[in-house]
Amino acid sequence: MIALVQAGALSGAQSGITAAAPLVLLTSACLFAIGVTGLLLRRNPMAVLMSIELMLNAGNLLLVLGARVNGRIDGHAAALLVLVVSAAEAVVGLALALVLFRDRPDADVDSRGEVAG
Amino acid sequence: MDGRLLPLSIGCAAAVLSALGVALARRPMHGALFLLLHSLSIAALFLCLSADFVAMGQVTVYSGAIVVLFLFVVLLLPDGGRERRAGPQRFVVALVGGAVTFVAMFAAMYVAIRSGAEPAADDSMFAVAALARTLFGAQLIPFELTGVLLLVAIVGGVSLWHRQGAERKR
Repeated sequence: MIALVQAGALSGAQSGITAAAPLVLLTSACLFAIGVTGLLLRRNPMAVLMSIELMLNAGNLLLVLGARVNGRIDGHAAALLVLVVSAAEAVVGLALALVLFRDRPDADVDSRGEVAG
Repeated sequence: MDGRLLPLSIGCAAAVLSALGVALARRPMHGALFLLLHSLSIAALFLCLSADFVAMGQVTVYSGAIVVLFLFVVLLLPDGGRERRAGPQRFVVALVGGAVTFVAMFAAMYVAIRSGAEPAADDSMFAVAALARTLFGAQLIPFELTGVLLLVAIVGGVSLWHRQGAERKR
C-alpha cells in the first residue's frame, strides 16, 4: 500500500490529478471488496442487492477516474450507461426480493425458493 | 486540482465507511439509509474528478430513484425484512472472499500505476457538450439500447409480481 502511494506521489510530481489517483483507486478496490464481502455474508435479498449496488458504484468510480486521468470523455458516457444498468438491475432484483419475502418473513437467498415458474 | 485533494479524501473516507454500513447493517432500513449516504459521497467524488454531469446523474438517478425504491420495498416488507444471524463459518467465507477480491484488484491497479500515469487532462474537455457528442455519436447504439433495457426491466418486474399474485389467488 505504501508503495502504491509512493508511486502516486512520484507521478504526482508532474501533474495534480495523478497524486489523487492512487487514493481513488484504493477507495474503489475497498468498495468492491466490501461489496463482495456483503454479498457472501448476508442472507437477506435486500442486503445482497445493496452489496451489488456497492460493486457497481466502485466500477463507476473507476471509470470516471480513468476518464479524468487519461483525458477521454468516453469514461463518463460509460459511467452513465452503468448507472442505467444499475437502475434496471435494482428494479428486477427488488421485484424478486418482494416475491421471496411474500411467503416467509425471513427470506434467505440460500434456501430453496418458489420463484421459478 | 491540489485544492480538491482534501474534499477528495473526505469523500473517499465517507464512501468507504458508508459502504461498511451497507454491508453490515442488521436492519435493511439502516442499510438503505447508508446506501443513500454512500451514493451522495460517490457523487461528491465525481464532482472532485470534474465529472459534473455524471455526478448530477448519480444524485438524480441513484439517490433520487434507486435508493427511494429500496426504501419503498423495505417499508413493504413484513417485519422490516429481518434476517437470521450469520454463522461463524459464513463470516469467515465472506471475509476471505472480500480479501481475495481486494488483493486481486489491488495487484491489477498497482501494475496500472507502475506502468506510468499519463498526463492529466484539463477540466475544459469534460464539458457537457463533449459528453453529448460522445453519447449521441460514437456510443449512440449502446445509449439507445439502454432504453430497451429499461423497458425490459419494467416489464420483467411487473410480470414477476403479477404472475405470482395470480398463482396465489388460485
